[in-house]
Amino acid sequence: MAPDSDQATLWEAPRPAPRILRVSDLNRQVRILLDGDPSLADVWVEGEVSQPSYPPSGHCFFVLKDAASQVKAVLFREELARATVRPEHGMHVICHGKVRAYEPQGSYQVYVESITPAGTGDLHQQYEALRTKLAGEGLFDAARKRPLPRWPRRIGVVTSPVGAVWRDIGNVMRRRYPIGELVLSSTIVQGPTASGAIVRALHRLYADAAIDLIILARGGGSLEDLWSFNDERVVRAVIEAPMPVVVGVGHESDVTLADFAADLRAPTPSAAAEQAVPDLTQFPAILDRLRDRASAAIFSGLADRGSFLGQEGRALARLLPDTAAARQHAAELVDRGHRALSARTSRELAALQGLADALRALSPAATLERGYAVARLTDGSIVRDPAQATPGEPLEVVVARGTIATRVESTAGPDEEVLP
Amino acid sequence: MTEPEAPADLAARPFDELVAELQRIVQALEAGNLPLEESIARYREALRLHAAAELRLREAELTISELGRGMGAEPGPEE
Repeated sequence: MAPDSDQATLWEAPRPAPRILRVSDLNRQVRILLDGDPSLADVWVEGEVSQPSYPPSGHCFFVLKDAASQVKAVLFREELARATVRPEHGMHVICHGKVRAYEPQGSYQVYVESITPAGTGDLHQQYEALRTKLAGEGLFDAARKRPLPRWPRRIGVVTSPVGAVWRDIGNVMRRRYPIGELVLSSTIVQGPTASGAIVRALHRLYADAAIDLIILARGGGSLEDLWSFNDERVVRAVIEAPMPVVVGVGHESDVTLADFAADLRAPTPSAAAEQAVPDLTQFPAILDRLRDRASAAIFSGLADRGSFLGQEGRALARLLPDTAAARQHAAELVDRGHRALSARTSRELAALQGLADALRALSPAATLERGYAVARLTDGSIVRDPAQATPGEPLEVVVARGTIATRVESTAGPDEEVLP
Repeated sequence: MTEPEAPADLAARPFDELVAELQRIVQALEAGNLPLEESIARYREALRLHAAAELRLREAELTISELGRGMGAEPGPEE
């Protein structure tokens, strides 16, 4: 028996005093521990949504659980806006995000960055499955595509009223087609509620029978951002449109299912606007060409009539000196007419009427009407020279309304004035 | 008659109808089988249509309206 050993069993070395942590310190220590684990910074977790709440902050808080356990989760407002689904009680989802401690509550939770419905595969698989299904129904057939109206008067636009897309469409229309009328049916274009909103915005336009054409547009973004345009409800709403629909979503490389459903698929929102309407900037030139063709046609028509009358009256034209003056006058009028045409003024019309009158004056009947006469010998030859006629010979004088039988009294030489 | 009449009566007609009508007249004049008075009348009409269409282009201003503001329209994400 060693009293020392007894003593030894009785003696306990003094323990160091426990380090007493404040709650905050403890929570911070746990937070630092979790923060330091890279595997928790990038987790995928599958579970069922329970008790989601949507406070006014715009964030979404919910519990993710399976049969045995549960964990808190939060989807912040920005991520919620980009998400393709809105968490609902009982929904089976896959969340991607990171695990972090929340110091004030001494809890940890999943900070969700993206959320997708579980069991349906990833977005690409969903897209392909729906595309195959709808194509199988014939909804994307080329035969379904309707031609766009050449001159739409009232054009509906379904897009977000904020941002560049709506502004760009307005600018394109102002530049190319200012005679048109744009009717905006505004909608949100991303987030879990966007699909329903787009469908409602389309139907508001369908209710307006005066809408000739609809442009459905959205700017570029990720596959998730554009996801509403792959929603079956949106695709079917486009198919059901009573008027043709042009879809311009994202960039050239983005092809959504709504694009397949469209009557015309445009690569971008601005291109959608350009393809929806004719380019009126070319029309001043087109109009001028039409007017010039009208002018050319009417001048050539008058020239043809002139040459016809000219044949009829050829003999008289040579016989009567005044006809030459009339011809010259007519030629001047033609020149003036052509000058008027090249000057592109409406005075060409006055010149035309003068020309038409002058041409009428050229006909032999009109010349006779003015009081001139034609003298014919019994053999029918026209008398151009006094030497052709002998005094006492019968002579037929043709005037405007008939003939006069007469005889030659006497003849005079070419130096003497015979015409007034 | 030195100026085409003011195209006031054409102001209410859609632009594309003015252009289509102008095209029809041009084709009729080019066919060349109209009586003289008739073709001058058509030509005068062509000038009026041209003036009306040109005026429409010069004075056109895009009309913009919005459906359903406050009747179920939804704000954009940035609002």
